[in-house]
Amino acid sequence: MDTTWIVIGIGVAIGLWLMMTYNRLVSLRNQAKNAWAQIDVQLKRRHDLIPNLVEVVKDAMGYEQETLKQVVAARNAAVNASGPAEVGPAESALTAAVTRLFALMESYPQLKANDNVMQLQEELTTTENKISFARQFYNDSIMGLNNMVESFPANFIAGTFGFATMAHLDIPDAERAVPKVSLR
Amino acid sequence: MSVPSSVPTPTGPTRTDFLSAQRSNRRKTRWLLIILTLIAAGFGASVGSVLEFEGGTAEDAIRALTGPAAVAGALLLAGASMAWSGIALAFGDRMVTGMAGAHEISREEEPQLHNIVEEMALAAGLPKPKVLVIETEVPNAFATGMRTSRAAIGVTRGLLQTLTRSELQGVIGHEMGHVANLDTRYMTAVSVTVGLIALIGNVALRSLQWGGMGRSRSSGSDKKGGGQAILVVLLIVFAILAPIAAKLVQFAVSRQREYLADATSVQFTRNPEGLISALEKLTRAAQPFPGVSGATQHLFIVNPLRQFTSRTPALFATHPALEDRIARLKNLG
Repeated sequence: MDTTWIVIGIGVAIGLWLMMTYNRLVSLRNQAKNAWAQIDVQLKRRHDLIPNLVEVVKDAMGYEQETLKQVVAARNAAVNASGPAEVGPAESALTAAVTRLFALMESYPQLKANDNVMQLQEELTTTENKISFARQFYNDSIMGLNNMVESFPANFIAGTFGFATMAHLDIPDAERAVPKVSLR
Repeated sequence: MSVPSSVPTPTGPTRTDFLSAQRSNRRKTRWLLIILTLIAAGFGASVGSVLEFEGGTAEDAIRALTGPAAVAGALLLAGASMAWSGIALAFGDRMVTGMAGAHEISREEEPQLHNIVEEMALAAGLPKPKVLVIETEVPNAFATGMRTSRAAIGVTRGLLQTLTRSELQGVIGHEMGHVANLDTRYMTAVSVTVGLIALIGNVALRSLQWGGMGRSRSSGSDKKGGGQAILVVLLIVFAILAPIAAKLVQFAVSRQREYLADATSVQFTRNPEGLISALEKLTRAAQPFPGVSGATQHLFIVNPLRQFTSRTPALFATHPALEDRIARLKNLG
């Protein structure tokens, strides 16, 4: 009699644990997917902004055609990339190109006086930041998901219901990489 | 475990991990809240014991302290503080924005501010809060919202004029930290409990005055005196000390939440320098402005009513001293 209750108790406990673990996995995966979607939005925004910026600075920056070409090339490569494995390096290259462009723009005072340029630069800066913050949050979410998917005993549930680990996304921080460039 | 490239490497033996700093902050705050509830319960017990008191000896007094009325008093007060908190939590978040005269500002008017708020919302993985501005030259900022999905972050006009982009980011990160850590909810619950304890202390002292006089007239000096006197003295001491103790706990909780928000800001921005230099500027320029009062002072990033550049008023301060905040931020790395 007593043993029946113990067995029932253990059964209920295991059932509850299964349910909670499964739900936790679902919410972690959704968080990660949502975080990836946020990055995607910002990457697209950056792809849209860059041609505009190149357009407004290209006349003033006549001697920097090579840099401008690199920016456009990096942008086009990034547009065509897909999945964390491809997007990471492509967006890194784009970040580096944009950083170089920003640094060079410092040497053109007439650009600083141009409201249009300043506005685009602020938009691009915030987009760069958003990419890095969204990536930060994505990677934190991924770490939570991956830890759970791989660790005992939740890995059994993850395996049974097809929860997989997701890849980290590495794009270097644009703000930190900005070199100090000055004419004086 | 791989460390993201943007995280600075440890620089010294005193460096603390901001995640563990957050954990210890949360733990401390939880303890402070438990202490607060215990104060309320102990207070209820002593009120109950005085009301129920029968007999005359010290043993009777002890029996009264553990009797059903004392237990009922303790439960009643603890329960009342929780119920009261619940009501305040449902309606409390609207009062602040009205009080400080903040108004919502559009993306067209302040694109950079909106951008930075969006950046911090992304870092926190939360929906974008409402963006408010208070029209005053004094640089300061606040956050409010009982839920992360219904929060607002407000800055003063002076803040926008004084700070650089990365400093502003640090400040918004701090406010986003308050939102993410549900500090408005926490502080509302705490201040409601503190208010209730103060109210009941007041009522107890008054009723002792009235009841005590009435009883001494009717029954004169009978054998009840000794034991009841002990309880009455106990109650008076409690009625005076409990509100003060509760207030001290409230200030301590408030300071812990400020440290926590600072740490959370650095977690979001990965850039302690921005917040440090912003805090230096803000503290130097701190002064009261219309709409700020004792009731709202704890909401702001630096205390608008007092300058906390020294450690002396620490116990009764809503905010930690600037040096302490900066020292902790430097330790976060």
